[in-house]
Amino acid sequence: MPAAVSIQGLTKKYLDVFNKSEITAVDNLEIDVEEGEIFGFLGRNGAGKTTTIKMLLGLIFPTSGTATVLGHPLGDTATKTQTSYLPENPYFYENMTGWDVMDFYAKLFHISEPVRSKRVKECLEDVHLDPKAWQRPLHGYSKGMLQRIGIAQALINDPKLLFLDEPTSGLDPIAHSELREIIVNVGKKGKTVFLSSHQLPDVELVCSRVAIIHQGKLLTTGTINDLTAGEKVEIRAEGKLNGALEKIKSMADIVEVNDTHIRIPSADERNVTDILDIIRSAKATIIAVMPHRRTLEEVFVDTVLKEGGI
Amino acid sequence: MVTLAIAKQTLDDMLRRKVLLILLIVTVGMIAIGPSVSFLSPRESSSILRSLGLAMIMIGGLLITILSSIQVIPTEIERRTIYTVLSKPVQRYEFVLGKFLGGLFTVFVMIAAMGVVFLGVLWYQEKHLAAEMVKGVMLTFFQMMLLGAMAIFFSTFLTPVVNFFVTFAIFIVGNLSSVTESLTNNPNPATKIMANIIHFVLPNFGNFNIQNKLINPTVEISNENVFIMQNIVYALIYSAVLLILAILVFDKREV
Ligand SMILES: Nc1ncnc2c1ncn2[C@@H]1O[C@H](COP(=O)(O)OP(=O)(O)O)[C@@H](O)[C@H]1O
Ligand SMILES: [Mg+2]
Repeated sequence: MPAAVSIQGLTKKYLDVFNKSEITAVDNLEIDVEEGEIFGFLGRNGAGKTTTIKMLLGLIFPTSGTATVLGHPLGDTATKTQTSYLPENPYFYENMTGWDVMDFYAKLFHISEPVRSKRVKECLEDVHLDPKAWQRPLHGYSKGMLQRIGIAQALINDPKLLFLDEPTSGLDPIAHSELREIIVNVGKKGKTVFLSSHQLPDVELVCSRVAIIHQGKLLTTGTINDLTAGEKVEIRAEGKLNGALEKIKSMADIVEVNDTHIRIPSADERNVTDILDIIRSAKATIIAVMPHRRTLEEVFVDTVLKEGGI
Repeated sequence: MVTLAIAKQTLDDMLRRKVLLILLIVTVGMIAIGPSVSFLSPRESSSILRSLGLAMIMIGGLLITILSSIQVIPTEIERRTIYTVLSKPVQRYEFVLGKFLGGLFTVFVMIAAMGVVFLGVLWYQEKHLAAEMVKGVMLTFFQMMLLGAMAIFFSTFLTPVVNFFVTFAIFIVGNLSSVTESLTNNPNPATKIMANIIHFVLPNFGNFNIQNKLINPTVEISNENVFIMQNIVYALIYSAVLLILAILVFDKREV
């Protein structure tokens, strides 16, 4: 399958006028996003996520490197009929009503009546914006409602590829989980989503593959499954270990014993057979042996601390 | 369709700007109270009323044009509304043209409103339509179109505040074409070169002010309609050049 986004050595340098020095916001980035996946683009504030997306959309221009979006080179207007963008903290014409602003965006895609009204209605419904608000000006909207408009305008052209820049930041818990749900639904329709975020629990739920960037550089990329899987195994058993406990402790860092409950949360893969043998010979019952998974958050923190050189 | 959609959105937005509406109300008010402050004989009054009205329309139109044209593009960037527009299949030239046309429609609506009140006042005073004044108002509109195109061009690389002073200054100098023309004959070569540049490069805004010629029939214009047409064509061509330059600059601009 062709890559929806293929980034080759993309670099963006800014001149810092105050220090007369160069900031490398994006540094020789190489990323491929496959069609149909929800791709998480992760990084701390200032890592270069927004800068990358803006280059992919032709809003700013790379210092060096290239990229293709849906197979087209950067800056090709033909691409834009099939992509869409939800900016970080989006701003819209606040004097316009929700309906009018959507109608305006639809016109930019050359969508004519009567299809236009139908599309606007569908999109506003898709994002569950209260119909009572449709004819009200945007300056009276809450942050959650504006974010719904933001997603709705990103759906107006039924795009193949969506760039969403931190779509769930700064929302209350209800709006937050609803928006996450909407994004999952977008993914279910087979669309590709390029999702920038540092809301790691969201990303873990929504995305299939992620890239982690730091100071403009790619640190790691892979499926969430691969990244969170470790070489550690969790073992649970039931029974009395007596003298065997000391032997096990010499093989695993953590052994939790609570009366007859035994839990070894992160045994090294190489020691698993030995530990299981010891448990068996102590006549205790093995209840479970399972791979220990790290959370995406742990992966992120480890990666950024270790490879980011902090 | 894209250009017109952007123009319409810009017009709607501009017509909600309080500053522009206040300017319109003040100007219309001044035109309307014109007759009551006049203390001259009816014949003098009529001509003073005409020059006063046209001058008010020019000043009101000038402020409305500058204030709207210097900000239509920078506001989009500052408020970040431009991201959702330029990430859609909108060419940058369509964006610039849409913004220019939106500003132009605004100026048209405002000048038309002032013009209607002006003609209404004259009608009330003289009980007939002052048809020749329509030409004056129309020329003011084209003068403002040229000024707006210039403000749009500068707005692609100057901040609105700097742009305000630059555009305003060029408008003043461009109105003094007789002065700059006489300076081109100055014996001092430096002055002569400068005057030539100013006179031939800066737009000749003075040519659009035909109120004197319209009001004082003693000043002859050999062929009035040809003169008006020439000025309109001049405004169209000069504006087109400025817009092309604006597009070339904006095309390279990061937003
Ligand atoms: N227009 C600009 N001029 C100078 N520096 C910039 C500009 N835009 C972004 N930067 C810098 O580039 C880096 C990356 O920013 P950004 O892409 O916004 O990060 P993120 O979206 O990951 O939070 C930051 O250090 C930021 O200060
Ligand atoms: Mg960002």
